[in-house]
Amino acid sequence: MFESLSDPVDVLTVFVEGKVRPLRFRWQGRVIRVRKVSGEWTRREGQALLRYYAVEAAGAGTYELCFDPRGPRWILSRAWTGGT
Amino acid sequence: MWILLVDMDAFFASVEQLHHPHLRGRPVIVCGDPQRRGVVTAASYEARPSGVRAGMSLVEARRLCPDAAYVEGNPEKYVALSLQLLDLYLTFTPEVEPFSVDEAFLGLDPRTPDLGAAAREARRLQQAIDERFRLGASIGVGPNKLVAKMASGLEKPRGLTALDEEGFRRAFWPRDVQELWGVGPKLAVRMRSLGIRTVGDLARAPAPSLKAVFGVVGPSLREAACGRDDTPLVPYHRGVDPKSMGHEVTLPADSADPAFLEGTLLRLSDQVARRLRGEGFVGRTVTLKLRDHRFVTLTRQRVLEAFTADHRLVFETARALWREHWKGGPVRLLGVSVSALARHSDHPQAELFEEDRREGRLTEALDRLRDRLGEAALVPAGSLTHRRPLGHVPFGPPPARMPGRRPGREREPS
Repeated sequence: MFESLSDPVDVLTVFVEGKVRPLRFRWQGRVIRVRKVSGEWTRREGQALLRYYAVEAAGAGTYELCFDPRGPRWILSRAWTGGT
Repeated sequence: MWILLVDMDAFFASVEQLHHPHLRGRPVIVCGDPQRRGVVTAASYEARPSGVRAGMSLVEARRLCPDAAYVEGNPEKYVALSLQLLDLYLTFTPEVEPFSVDEAFLGLDPRTPDLGAAAREARRLQQAIDERFRLGASIGVGPNKLVAKMASGLEKPRGLTALDEEGFRRAFWPRDVQELWGVGPKLAVRMRSLGIRTVGDLARAPAPSLKAVFGVVGPSLREAACGRDDTPLVPYHRGVDPKSMGHEVTLPADSADPAFLEGTLLRLSDQVARRLRGEGFVGRTVTLKLRDHRFVTLTRQRVLEAFTADHRLVFETARALWREHWKGGPVRLLGVSVSALARHSDHPQAELFEEDRREGRLTEALDRLRDRLGEAALVPAGSLTHRRPLGHVPFGPPPARMPGRRPGREREPS
């Protein structure tokens, strides 16, 4: 099932064609490699524009990462790691 | 001009399936927090054979479809994708009218010669949506908005139905009168009592009789039953003002606690008023929506003496309606909306007294603070005066347009 989280994570990113692409992130001591960014969107909190990325991991699992410019910091906001 | 109605198939559920591949091919039900009670916001096509429909309670949905994935919806995500879809539509035609977050009317180039050519254009658009977003859309094509809208519902998902007026009659005249766009369940019951059972019956009914029974709406419904509609397509770059703004919430548990219910009403009123101010509107009619534990829904409204965007006035009116009509039983859902809207610039609120001016300045200062820090940064103290938290009332997205607000500098992720 999905877990709604608010876990700070370290994210390695790259700029491709002017866009940010998360490549891998560290969560709960594990490094998770991003196979694919399957979606992105934004949400505003006051003046801050939070950027969200839905990513598919190289193994199994899908995650939603959020870049919050107020830190700046990366947050893992949702994770699905198996089960229903 | 030929018109298309593009309807994204099970949009919210499809977006979740797109972002989370393990959900593909499985029944998916998008809702509020799945751990709390609430209603189904959207169901994927895989979930629909079990009878799950939008608006159904989660308890009922879980009974019908226990194996579905219950996913908390994310309105910002759907709106962002909806805007990207509009950008795609605009590459086909400048005549784009968003109809909802997952539907839009498109007016094709007037030189499009016939229905066949319009259908080919619709197919091209459908393929472009699939290629760019990997999402399914059903498209209706017709000579007007009514035919396009109704045609879009004939074949789903990924359907394409093109009808001219004659085709519309063949397709819809044998169907139940309630299938006509604009005929709801109550109107359909009245029509059936007059022997009007199908769309064709309505088309053949004498206009004077319909006018006598249903008023001005009678003859226009007869026109609709014939597949005729002269509603103009209003491209969104020209803008259409909203008719009302409102918020509602299903409570985490039925409640008969007056302080809790009033606190919820205050939070809802505050959100509605903030949205009004943010988008530059004022309104004159406040509506309270109350659903009790038996699912009996009551809506009551009151017209104010003057236009307002003040949360206190909205709240006081909603609370007065609530105190008048609440019988003390457990409440399941509360909603507050303001309608009869007008542009604030057309109805500046007179501030005759120093106290009003002070209140006005205070509201502006608080709005500026929330623009900067977010909606949760400040809440009316009255919504905190009881022990139960109001975590069930989500903060809506901030107002879309902030007149006079300077765009904030945003840092790119690195």
